[in-house]
Amino acid sequence: MNTIWALAGVVIKELYRRKDFYVLFVLTALITIAAGMVNFFHDPKIVRYVKDICLLLIWVSALLIAIITTARQIPAERESRTIFPLLAKPVTRWQFILGKFLGCWLATGMALLVFYVFFAIITGSREQNWPWLTYLQAIWLQWAMLAVVIALSLCGSIISAAPSSTTTICFIAVAGILLVGGHLNTVALHQSQPLQTIFYTIYFLIPHLEWFDLRDRVVYDWGLVDWLDCVLATLYAAAYTGLFLLLTWLGFRRKSLNT
Amino acid sequence: MSIILKTEKLRVEFTSGELRQTTKVALDSLDLEVNVGEVFGFLGPNGAGKTTAINVLLGFVPPTRGAAYLFGIDVRQPIARQRIGYLPEMTYYYKFLTAEELLRFYARIFGLRRTEADKRIDQLLKLVELEPARKRPIKSYSKGMQQRVGLAQALINNPDLLILDEPTSGLDPLGRMQVREIIQRLKNEGKTVFFSSHELGEVETVCDRVAIINRGELKASGRVSDLVAQHHANLEKAFLDIIGYQTQSAS
Amino acid sequence: MKASPYLVLVLVLTVCFTLATGIEPRASTWSDRAKSNNVFSMLFGDGRRLFANQFFTMADVYFHSGYYPSVFDLREEGQKEIVAESHGHTDSPEDEIKEDFLGKPKDWIDRFGRHFRITKHTHLEHGNEREILPWLRLAADMDPQKIETYTVGSFFMRTHLNRPREAEAFLREGLRNNPDSYEILFELGRLYDESDRDPGRARDVWQLALYRWSKDPEAVKDDKLAFEEITVHLAQLERGAGNWPQAINWFQAAQKVSPDPNALQQRIDEIKKTMAAQTNAPSAAPY
Repeated sequence: MNTIWALAGVVIKELYRRKDFYVLFVLTALITIAAGMVNFFHDPKIVRYVKDICLLLIWVSALLIAIITTARQIPAERESRTIFPLLAKPVTRWQFILGKFLGCWLATGMALLVFYVFFAIITGSREQNWPWLTYLQAIWLQWAMLAVVIALSLCGSIISAAPSSTTTICFIAVAGILLVGGHLNTVALHQSQPLQTIFYTIYFLIPHLEWFDLRDRVVYDWGLVDWLDCVLATLYAAAYTGLFLLLTWLGFRRKSLNT
Repeated sequence: MSIILKTEKLRVEFTSGELRQTTKVALDSLDLEVNVGEVFGFLGPNGAGKTTAINVLLGFVPPTRGAAYLFGIDVRQPIARQRIGYLPEMTYYYKFLTAEELLRFYARIFGLRRTEADKRIDQLLKLVELEPARKRPIKSYSKGMQQRVGLAQALINNPDLLILDEPTSGLDPLGRMQVREIIQRLKNEGKTVFFSSHELGEVETVCDRVAIINRGELKASGRVSDLVAQHHANLEKAFLDIIGYQTQSAS
Repeated sequence: MKASPYLVLVLVLTVCFTLATGIEPRASTWSDRAKSNNVFSMLFGDGRRLFANQFFTMADVYFHSGYYPSVFDLREEGQKEIVAESHGHTDSPEDEIKEDFLGKPKDWIDRFGRHFRITKHTHLEHGNEREILPWLRLAADMDPQKIETYTVGSFFMRTHLNRPREAEAFLREGLRNNPDSYEILFELGRLYDESDRDPGRARDVWQLALYRWSKDPEAVKDDKLAFEEITVHLAQLERGAGNWPQAINWFQAAQKVSPDPNALQQRIDEIKKTMAAQTNAPSAAPY
């Protein structure tokens, strides 16, 4: 476990010493503040559009950080040859993968926390209202979703050595699932065979990441999701995360690494 | 004398080509034994299979046939690497970390306690003369400094066996001398050093025994003095003889 | 002789400047986009109308607090509820059933997913209608020729948010961009009548609206509802002012296009009764 935490620590250090996170945070902050400064019909209490824009930026930024950071972990280690002195130590390949996953997940989680603190400050200053539990649920579920995304990216980085192609494919897959995944059953109903079977198969196989998107509930003040549903969704995310990590390990464990 | 490193009929094949139809034999029935406390040189021309053999010992490449053992443990088990240190030929480390952070990271992997790790890090940075630069990120280091960081990380766990892949490659004469001194010091401490090198002069100076491989096959193995006596020449001429290279004057 | 690089740079800049002064007058005739003084028009061309439509839809989404069909729900595209509400329409139970685009869950994934989605049909109220305004503002900026944006925006500002001056300013902006719009004039008249209680101004604006409507052949052919609305409002205004004959005239004009002329006939009959009652009332002055 010590090894996994040590590996995770290095990943976190890397994220915060690179510029990506700061650039995305500053961009999010600037766009949100600019959006918030616009005067719509002299009504200072209008706030939902600011929440909407800010949360959209947070989601995009978090996905960018998660996918880009993860997609380059293993390929960068191989290309820069830092993997050799590392695996020459008593580190199993499973520990290596778990350490990378944990580091990326924790780093993304910290970034998410910073983004949401900013969000709470901006919206709270207008609404004079801080629904902490709702924010906590939104952060938790988004973080759980990012675990799935990170595991997926890690799996992709074993298949494709080029971080750019892994990043692109993961983005397309995740965006597709978020936008369309929940509606594939509706689409399937209106198709003939064999397309109907194909759509249903995809619908039942993909991780339904759209469950974890509570933006609408936060923007429109719909309150909390039932805590049991929260727990079940977390277990669902954990299951898919485990699946993708296992696939990653199966792909990586027998890979020859030539110095 | 107990055996610290052993290979038994080690064979490694690499397949290449679109349909994996081309097979290259990198190592063929390699039998090696390294005893505790000796400095063992692993020699061969470029492409002989030295790095492949080291990759197998470190678990980077699985053997096609045969086996390899460190401390009597199959190299495929990570615990076999608990008491070794490894210095790769090309030294690249996490550029965003400082030397101190890097050593602390590796110390943590070996399970060293904080106080012990701190002491060890101070000792090693002094040994490799990187104390003034310990807080600087590695990306600001010269090649020689990076090589010395590599040596420090290879020694972080006070290993009983040190595996060095071309340790003096790219170093200036001063750097090479420092590496030789460190190897000698380790030998005096009873450590075992296994290293591959092209610098036959250095090998002749520091090594107790050597093995010479060519085209994946072990051609000769034994004490340096024995090989030299057998071929009535210095180690370089003996090496050339063994790998079957004829100089123009000889032909 | 080698030319100095700075001299070459100056020469090239001079050529560029000269060409620009010569080409610019011609280039401005190449496309409307170049002539436009609207930033969005320049950036997006006619594509901005897509954005405007999307922003207008966002206003409707916000009005429903997020309960809104996606493109996959394959519902018939009807009038947006914010538009219907601005014309005084309220949901009946049958409308509520039609609005329930979700239906029964199709499978366990759908069922579980609804715990995280918004599944209740609501409308914004108690001042929260302000949240739709940014999207209407953006829609107006993107497509100043989209009339509904101004009429819907001003309706909500006037009736739900008690901001008649902002509503009037928004309508006047709409009129500047669409001088022939009878819809905006009608809404402006409603503002004068219902918010400012200025029947004189309301009458003038509604009559102008009627005139604009009559001059629009497409409106005369397809938008009889607008004619009915304007004439009914004029009728009610005249009724309130005690101008019974004028009120009857307006109701009768509305009857010609109304889908429910009997309801209008009832009002005409009421006015006639009131007129008769006033005529038969004893004289106030004593002998």
